[in-house]
Amino acid sequence: MKIRSIIRKDLKTLLSDKKALIIILLMPIILMVILGFALKGIFIESWEGSKVNIAIVKQYVAESDLKGFNDALQNSLLAQGMGADTASELSDASDEVDPENILFNEFLGSTEVSDIIVYRIESEKNAKELLNRGEISAIVVLPEKYLYNMKINLLTPFRNEVEIKVLTNPDATMDGQIVNAIMQAYSDSMSSAIIGKNVLIEAAMANNMGNDSFKGMEAVMTGIMAALEAVRVEVDDVALEGRKPIMSSDYYAAAMLAMFILFAAGQGGRMLLEEKESFTWQRMMVAGTSKLGILAGKFLVIFIIALLQILIMTIFSQLVLKVEWGDFSSIAGIGIAAAFAVAGLGTVLAAVTYRMGNFKIANIFETGIIQIMALLGGSFVPIDILPNAFQKLSVLSLNGIALKAYQKTMMGYGLEAVVGYIAVLAGIGAAFTLLAVIILMRKEGTDHVKHYQAARIKA
Amino acid sequence: MLKVENLQKNFGNIMAVDGISFEVRKGEVFGLLGPNGAGKSTTISVLSTLLPPSDGVVLFEGKNIFEEPKAIQSKLGVVPQDIALYPTLSGYENLSFWGNLYGLTGRELKKRIEEVCEIIGLSERIKDRVDKYSGGMKRRLNIGAALLHMPELLIMDEPTVGIDPQSRNHILDTVLELNRQGMTIIYTSHYMEEVEYLCSRICIMDQGKIIAAGSKDELVEMISGKTEIALLLESMDQEIVKTVGSIKGIDSMVHQENQILIRCENADMILADIIASITASGNHLRSVDVKKPNLEAVFLHLTGKALRD
Ligand SMILES: Nc1ncnc2c1ncn2[C@@H]1O[C@H](COP(=O)(O)OP(=O)(O)OP(=O)(O)O)[C@@H](O)[C@H]1O
Ligand SMILES: [Mg+2]
Repeated sequence: MKIRSIIRKDLKTLLSDKKALIIILLMPIILMVILGFALKGIFIESWEGSKVNIAIVKQYVAESDLKGFNDALQNSLLAQGMGADTASELSDASDEVDPENILFNEFLGSTEVSDIIVYRIESEKNAKELLNRGEISAIVVLPEKYLYNMKINLLTPFRNEVEIKVLTNPDATMDGQIVNAIMQAYSDSMSSAIIGKNVLIEAAMANNMGNDSFKGMEAVMTGIMAALEAVRVEVDDVALEGRKPIMSSDYYAAAMLAMFILFAAGQGGRMLLEEKESFTWQRMMVAGTSKLGILAGKFLVIFIIALLQILIMTIFSQLVLKVEWGDFSSIAGIGIAAAFAVAGLGTVLAAVTYRMGNFKIANIFETGIIQIMALLGGSFVPIDILPNAFQKLSVLSLNGIALKAYQKTMMGYGLEAVVGYIAVLAGIGAAFTLLAVIILMRKEGTDHVKHYQAARIKA
Repeated sequence: MLKVENLQKNFGNIMAVDGISFEVRKGEVFGLLGPNGAGKSTTISVLSTLLPPSDGVVLFEGKNIFEEPKAIQSKLGVVPQDIALYPTLSGYENLSFWGNLYGLTGRELKKRIEEVCEIIGLSERIKDRVDKYSGGMKRRLNIGAALLHMPELLIMDEPTVGIDPQSRNHILDTVLELNRQGMTIIYTSHYMEEVEYLCSRICIMDQGKIIAAGSKDELVEMISGKTEIALLLESMDQEIVKTVGSIKGIDSMVHQENQILIRCENADMILADIIASITASGNHLRSVDVKKPNLEAVFLHLTGKALRD
């Protein structure tokens, strides 16, 4: 009840303050538009110019895999009662169906994929060094017996599991995501091809066509080719999705949003001391309002202001700048968690400012810390083009976390991909809130100095 | 209703309130008079549970207010010395916020706001922003904010500081009217006229201590008979000082430039003698002023200094 009136009163106060409104709403919207257009050129070049470098590590030995496959083919097929001629036919076909060729030439060598990814084949050790040095963005590991298993999968009714691993460099998240997505598309398409082929074989067997079906190896090959076509199509989609954040308007919409909600914390950071200096704090205390109640009121006010900012900026950018934010529940989750974190931060500022008895901290926050956070978090320029050291510091910025999360949803990821970020933001919010409570409730020390000064001035 | 026993409050080395005791009875207007820095506001902060005392007890209707702050909070209205309002909100929004804090809502709140506006005479401007108000209007709203929940005890800390005589009279009449309706009031001021006008009982504070207490008449009684006569002469010389000084019945006398100040038990008795001796000396009297004792004089008598510089 009391908290509700405190919130209502604070919202009214804040919304009637034109200067505050300009900072928290008008500026970010203007900047979204300006940065979105002005930095378009630089932005797209910086992305299109740099392809993603990866290393591929072969953990299998080609010769032994091939030999193994041929032996297995002879033994098991014959054992299953396949005619000797069919077996040999299959064996011939086996030479044509080369998984290495499919991956390296048909897939990675295709124009679509090679536009995005440049690969080199490296030993595991070298690859890891390259990754650590940041010279490549990801390692794709082809597991032991990769060739053998793929051949089994592509040519026989059997299905052996093949797990392709992608190790990414955490500093190059964008690149890592692209590689991950592309390899995922590859393996998805391969398995649908394999399943398709198995269905074909099983259908043939069920119709008692038996061995004859193997004679039409061409049919199988066509299936594989069709599957590879499918892979290409999907890669097209992936490429588009993966590269969507390079749209400068999208990027800066999220970047400005993530940065300017910090000003809600700045505004909120002044609130407690302002109450004290206008003696309304004392009046609230006399009315029996608890300090915690007042603090909770401020927390919620900042939370609501930040949410409002997020809502207005999201809607504006979607309608006017045609920004596609992505999955609704994900962006709602990120928005709420970010507002929560901002509210926590603002409450800490408010408690510290109250304790210090002057607005220095709140001022430093607004004129310095927000700018630093904006830089580290990628609100001015994408952190991927900043030096490595900076990229590592980006975890310190609340806006950076929110921005990363929004980039994910913009790329088309769902909730699973952003829950981590949401949890981090919520955790930050909770930790800050706790800290604020501790700071405010600590035993009073210098609390009356202000009153003393006021009394002196009058005298 | 309110009983203060041996209350002490220090800020580091500063003894703001130094062991004061007094009692406020239901239905009275109790005055707390004292110069700047006497410790009035500090006392009030303690009474309104804003500051913990360094020592002593405050009982409200028999309950210790530091053990049970809720007991006093809901029945207490405080008009702080400093304007405690939200300048960017309207008068109405301010009142409705403070009403909310005391648990008033809806129609009841609306009715109380109207009544309070009537009392403080702000009905016409109540929808305007407070920062557009004059000093006197802010003072009145500052009082109004403390009245919404119909407190049984109203503490007013220098509610008339720095405002025009008209607003001031309005406020003084408001205080009397509230008291007439049954509200107990503690009124703080360093204007002795106000306290004389309003209060049935008065405490005079100086440097954290109560130096005198009682009804106005009782206090004046303390320096009873001590009348002051101020003579303004055409010219001054040693002769005349001597002649006047020798008149019987004068307790003390000081002179400065053309003025002579005389203290005596009974002015009527000696005034004729004084005038006669001055005329006899060939000097001329420009004016004679006989001052009846008042609280100002009481304060002067007790502390040897004026209430206000
Ligand atoms: N928070 C504080 N810290 C230190 N000293 C204080 C504080 N508040 C008051 N004092 C000191 O305590 C003494 C009493 O101050 P107080 O404000 O109670 O006086 P007052 O009687 O209300 O004066 P005024 O008429 O000027 O309002 C003064 O010396 C003042 O400087
Ligand atoms: Mg005072």
